[in-house]
Amino acid sequence: MRLTRDPLYIATVCGVGMGSSLILKMTVEDALRELGIPGRVEHMDLSSVRSARVDVIVAQPLHTEELKGLNALVIPVTNFLDKEGIKRALVTRLREVGWIAE
Amino acid sequence: MVVQRLAARRAVQVENWEEAARAAGALLVELGCATPNYVERMSALVREQGPYMVLAPGLALLHARPEDGGLAPGLAVITLAQPVSFGHPENDPVDLILAFASPNAQDHLDLLARLARALQNGLDLQLRQSESESEMLERLHTALESHVCF
Repeated sequence: MRLTRDPLYIATVCGVGMGSSLILKMTVEDALRELGIPGRVEHMDLSSVRSARVDVIVAQPLHTEELKGLNALVIPVTNFLDKEGIKRALVTRLREVGWIAE
Repeated sequence: MVVQRLAARRAVQVENWEEAARAAGALLVELGCATPNYVERMSALVREQGPYMVLAPGLALLHARPEDGGLAPGLAVITLAQPVSFGHPENDPVDLILAFASPNAQDHLDLLARLARALQNGLDLQLRQSESESEMLERLHTALESHVCF
């Protein structure tokens, strides 16, 4: 899958930036690999992501609500272990903003 | 890498999520991975930041910050006799608690990366279905040692 932004820089985010976001990072990396999307994924906490220049933010809905004003594509995910669900969410949102080169 | 600091308890009786967090945290203290203050801070983080640590249906990953009293990387797992509510809109009720400690921001990375892969491959179900604590520990050891990530 080709993207207009290549490679994609993705932040997985949680409150402390050590646990949940790291689990999510692993799942998002696996999802990207299977989709064939080149991307770099870093896990971080809520305050760090505000000053990070990232293309995409993936986090629990509880956190994405707080991050809506940021200049990044924000993708809420409820189940951090659901690789197939995360693949669907990524493709849907990337297509919506026109970042997937058709 | 050999993950040595692991603990597990099965069908633990608790009334609410705070008791569940304390039960898992007590195992981290027994392992020598965390101080009692670290365990207190695990619950405080849930209260302060909301239940985002319930990161999949029925599963909570609890921890505090290294400076709260993390002594060594380690992982404690408990299954609950009766599920508890953390107040997560979609992933409640929770019957599997994973708690970890780390002395700094790096030493747990390998452990958690392996844990993530193992959970994706069904470790959560294996832990829930285990019929003894030794079976839980064996499944943890097997899963965490066989998933090389970095």
